[in-house]
Amino acid sequence: MSRRILCGTYSHNHVTPPSSSALPLIEAKALTREFDDGQVRALRGVHFSIREGEFVAITGPSGCGKSTLLQLLGALDRPTSGTLLYRGQSLPDHPHPASYRACEVGFIFQAFHLLPTFTAAENVQIPMFETDRSLKERKERAAELLKLVGLEHRLNHFPSKLSGGERQRVAIARSLANSPSLLLADEPTGNLDSKNAHVVLDLIIRLQQEQGRTMVLVTHDPSIAARAERTLRMMDGRIVSDQISASPGSTEAS
Amino acid sequence: MTFFTVVLRGLLRRPVRTGLTLAGISIGIAAVVALVGMSRGFEKSWQVGLKARGTDLVVSNMSGALTPKPFDASVRDRIANLPHIAATCTILVELTSIEDSDLMILSAREWGGFSWSNLKLISGRMPRDASEPAVVLGKTAAEVLKKKVGDPIQIETSELKVVGIVEGGALVENGSVILSLPLLQGILGSQGKINAIDVRVTPSTTEAQMQELIRQIQQRVPEVRAVTVSEHLNNSEGYRMVRAMSWGTSLLAVLVGVLGVMNTMLMTVFERTHEICVLLAVGWTRARIMRMVLYESAMLGLVGGIIGVALGAVGVQALGATPGIRGLLQPDLGFALLSLSVVIAVAVGVLSGLYPAWRSSRLTPSLALQAG
Repeated sequence: MSRRILCGTYSHNHVTPPSSSALPLIEAKALTREFDDGQVRALRGVHFSIREGEFVAITGPSGCGKSTLLQLLGALDRPTSGTLLYRGQSLPDHPHPASYRACEVGFIFQAFHLLPTFTAAENVQIPMFETDRSLKERKERAAELLKLVGLEHRLNHFPSKLSGGERQRVAIARSLANSPSLLLADEPTGNLDSKNAHVVLDLIIRLQQEQGRTMVLVTHDPSIAARAERTLRMMDGRIVSDQISASPGSTEAS
Repeated sequence: MTFFTVVLRGLLRRPVRTGLTLAGISIGIAAVVALVGMSRGFEKSWQVGLKARGTDLVVSNMSGALTPKPFDASVRDRIANLPHIAATCTILVELTSIEDSDLMILSAREWGGFSWSNLKLISGRMPRDASEPAVVLGKTAAEVLKKKVGDPIQIETSELKVVGIVEGGALVENGSVILSLPLLQGILGSQGKINAIDVRVTPSTTEAQMQELIRQIQQRVPEVRAVTVSEHLNNSEGYRMVRAMSWGTSLLAVLVGVLGVMNTMLMTVFERTHEICVLLAVGWTRARIMRMVLYESAMLGLVGGIIGVALGAVGVQALGATPGIRGLLQPDLGFALLSLSVVIAVAVGVLSGLYPAWRSSRLTPSLALQAG
């Protein structure tokens, strides 16, 4: 068995009309996640499904379980019970979770989580090590992605020399490194001032729309959630409402 | 960016710590090179010295210290008529302090024996007869003792005269103070005692005949051993102890290096928990994370090993030139020893990295998110 993960034929990464896909991209049934031997019940039986190409916001107060849910979707953590399917396959039983994380998912974190000892371009290349891209291809791909997020002039800057907004844009470029089907964003503008938050959010939405990726975005900010096509509202480890937005993607709902 | 760049960045992240770890491991490796190089140099120098004297077999009792135990000179008469023996020369050799020099080789040879014949006079003359209170100095011994022809030289309680400076064709010979056997026996009060017989065999002697000769000598004189020049020191308890001690001390130094590297790598894994979690979160496999940590520590070993070998080689040359050691041995830093030292260093690196690498691979990627 090959140790090297082969990411991305681009087949399922680009615009698949949501209606044409019979199988949901993600399907969760009775999903629970408990910590400390059941003393903390972060998720208490969550049901939902997400179609390919959808832009879903998950909102709710702190501690409602939205970040835990995102971690399960990203295979960073395993559910305590329930079913979680990705393209019809059980995610907790995925034979190569690292391959799933590298190829299928792009993560955008609130705290950016760039590696401080690597330049912007190198940070973007990090996920590509798990693919068969050559050194040259990795470099070119990183430059291309940084151009896409408007940072072509910052390739060789270390994160400490970048502003918060620029760092998050590098992180966005990194999340796209292996052309994932699914983008997971956890409060992506939470650490940014309003001007930068605006730029980053517009960028994320533009990338989602242009490239037809599926996006799950966790936020506690209703104005951000309003820009998604659909909002799942969580409370105490459960989904309490599932609404289709009136005017998704519009700039600034408030 | 290559995987190697990732490894290198990990090391350069804390340059002072990496530097100190390198210093630790390189000192350990330098100790291996220096101590083992010296003990091997001692062995080789004696071999070359014996060969320069034209000796094929040495009959002695090496169970004692670095110089053989004395025995009665009459032993020679019991073996001299064995087949294949062309010539014998009785020897009394001591390692002793002479004037300001801590350790000199004092080599007394049977007057007229073949061990004199390969000495080439540089200046002065040879002693006139066995009883003249005179010595000749190997050229290095003359430099170390700062003597020239005509100078007096104090050996134990007797004052002798330097009558000649010689070139002996080997480091040990050049580092020796050479005098006639009866003279030294008189000075030391050990009349009739010797501690080695140099044996020269007839030129046509085969290896098998040589072994047979050794067996016969053994049979006739059980209290001594006859060995070929190349095996001479291997039969010395004292030398075997020196060799064991030099390896023992070296390995202790290497062990300290292992602990140093392991400590550094554990620190680096703990310190980079967050980064390692991010790497896992963006899809790096646990195997790749382990490889990263192992390569980092192997790299510390490799670089530390190369620096250590260089340090050890320079150190050993410096030691070899000190008055106490000069003329006694020529450090032997063969390619095999140097490459073995680097291999040891890399092994140290890999071994020390195993546990930290395993620790790093046990981390959970979700930690990365929580840190936000």
